[in-house]
Amino acid sequence: MEAALLGIVTIVVGVGGCLAYFYFSNQFLDHVLFPAKGANAGRNINRANQIRPWLFLFPAIFALSLYLAYPVVATLWYSVTDRSQGGAFVGFANYAQMMDEPKFWEAMRNNMLWLIIVPAASTAFGLLAAQLTDRIKWGSIAKSLIFMPMAISFVGAAVIFKLIYDTRPVDQAQIGVMNAVWLQFEGGIGSLLILRLLPALLMLCGAAAGVYVIIGQVTAIREKGGVLVRGLAILVLAWIVFSLLSLALGAVTAVHPYGEPQTWLTIPGWNSFLLMIVLIWIQTGFAMVILSAALRGIPEETIEAAIVDGANPFQVFFKIKLPQISGTIVVVWTTITLTVLKVFDIVFAMTNGQWETQVLANYMFDKLFRANDWGVGSAAAMVIMLLVSPILVWNVYNARKEMR
Amino acid sequence: MFPTPIEKRSRAAQISYQAFLPVVLIIWLLPLVAVAVFSMKPDADFTNGNYWGLPSSFELFNNYGKVFFESNMPRYLLNSLLITIPTVIGAVALSCMAGFALGVYRFKGNLLIFFMFIAGNFVPFQILMVPVRDLTIDLNLYDTKTGLVLFHVAFQTGFCTLFMRNFIRALPFPLIEAARVEGISEWRIFLYVVLPLMKPALAALAVLIFTFIWNDYFWAVVLTQGPDAQPVTAGITEFNSQYRAAYHLMSAGSIVAALPPVAMFFLMQKHFIAGLTLGAVK
Repeated sequence: MEAALLGIVTIVVGVGGCLAYFYFSNQFLDHVLFPAKGANAGRNINRANQIRPWLFLFPAIFALSLYLAYPVVATLWYSVTDRSQGGAFVGFANYAQMMDEPKFWEAMRNNMLWLIIVPAASTAFGLLAAQLTDRIKWGSIAKSLIFMPMAISFVGAAVIFKLIYDTRPVDQAQIGVMNAVWLQFEGGIGSLLILRLLPALLMLCGAAAGVYVIIGQVTAIREKGGVLVRGLAILVLAWIVFSLLSLALGAVTAVHPYGEPQTWLTIPGWNSFLLMIVLIWIQTGFAMVILSAALRGIPEETIEAAIVDGANPFQVFFKIKLPQISGTIVVVWTTITLTVLKVFDIVFAMTNGQWETQVLANYMFDKLFRANDWGVGSAAAMVIMLLVSPILVWNVYNARKEMR
Repeated sequence: MFPTPIEKRSRAAQISYQAFLPVVLIIWLLPLVAVAVFSMKPDADFTNGNYWGLPSSFELFNNYGKVFFESNMPRYLLNSLLITIPTVIGAVALSCMAGFALGVYRFKGNLLIFFMFIAGNFVPFQILMVPVRDLTIDLNLYDTKTGLVLFHVAFQTGFCTLFMRNFIRALPFPLIEAARVEGISEWRIFLYVVLPLMKPALAALAVLIFTFIWNDYFWAVVLTQGPDAQPVTAGITEFNSQYRAAYHLMSAGSIVAALPPVAMFFLMQKHFIAGLTLGAVK
């Protein structure tokens, strides 16, 4: 009980302190420093008004420079020094050492995979959910349920999913949902349908969509030009289509170990995806809420006009609705991208980067706390910063454009 | 009207749509449902391999009672509360003032500071880890709740200030002008004119920050250790290693740890979503 009392006292003191600071600093400014009376009343008022904003800003700026600005600079400094040599300047030696480590490149590769898959999947699912639940009566209930994982912490979700992926020895009943489902497949017709045809079909659909977009881009080059950007987009798309096709082939020809419970989190390649599912599960709700608000904001007339002109539902969705919410999609995408770049809790709690699931944030944590190598850890942190900075610059640039 | 309300579609389409959605929803929530069911089962069900059948006896109170009375869980929960609530109050108070200054006054450096706040918003928190840890140790605040609260307040202030500034910018400015013409001093304008208008933003922000801080794990691990100061997110991993084989207790613990933000979310859903939307669009 003592702790609770202490907490309440802290709160009272904190809030009281804030209010007192606020009240007395303003009073001091108005009545002592530059009083609005006497010979210089007018000048004093102006002066007081010039200083006042800084009174309001001071606590926030002080807190941020102590806990944000200073640490950024300090980390930059750590990344070019060596603590074991008493903090001597070593230039880029830490970075070079990091580049030599295969674990770092594994983390980079995994981070790139996370960066491509998680925002895309979350946004796509979110859009789908927003579109589907908008049309039924109990849609808002469905929405809150889809959204609920967002309120659970990443660690909490990781703990829950660990149970889902859990494994028991062959002769026992399986507690993990994944394995319980997996053991239902025995190589019969059901397995053929669900494990081979369904994924292959999905991949083929994806590939077809990719080809469709490529054709659209090719005609766009013919009509509007822009060879460089569009050509690059076509190359990326072609690569995606190719990998989808090879995945489809793999789904059909793969040999599955039926009837054996799998330790899912130790299968390299698959385990990263299983970790991504946790984040997608959490972030889909976020994407859905924001996108659903955007979808509702689309003016009805544009859609009515399209229908009168004979557009089918797919055309309405892809050619009328999507372009109008493209701005929101970009915002959702970048927000999730930022979350992904910092993803740490999930990997740390589920595999701790073993079995080829390492990501940058966890690599850094590992270096700092387990290997006690401050230089390389800070260098890894700078790499994360570098990856974030395009988004940062782009956002500041946009905010500036808005001001004008 | 488009899209056609599903009620006006053909009977078959309606039924399949109505049936399809609940199935997808159940799959979506399956992880939570599974854990909720596990948390009600007796220990015997797990040794007998009866994972998926009905519980052989209903042990809801027993399992949760154990979590609450025989483990460190209540302590972790209390720590979480003592960390989260002061942080929410502190960050919101600071950002109200800073947001007011940036939103209402025109002065040199206003835009520059605003851009700095935007930039600060995108700094990945990992980059702060070592210096903040050193700083906390130097201030003698390592492994205390105060250290965690101070850092959280400072770090969240960036986002909160942006949020508040954008909200205040959208308020009707003539109201403030009118108050000034009446000769009301600036701090009264802030307290009696602007603050009451900010109530929706305050509620949204408070709910948002509450879940952010409650769900934080990284800083809990970096700045604290042991049950004296660690919040429930760090506690749950500790708890799970303590009850490694006891799935019923692990599940009950997970539910207990996740419950406060989920309850908050359901009670304050409107504010939560308003906060996310306001925070994301800008």
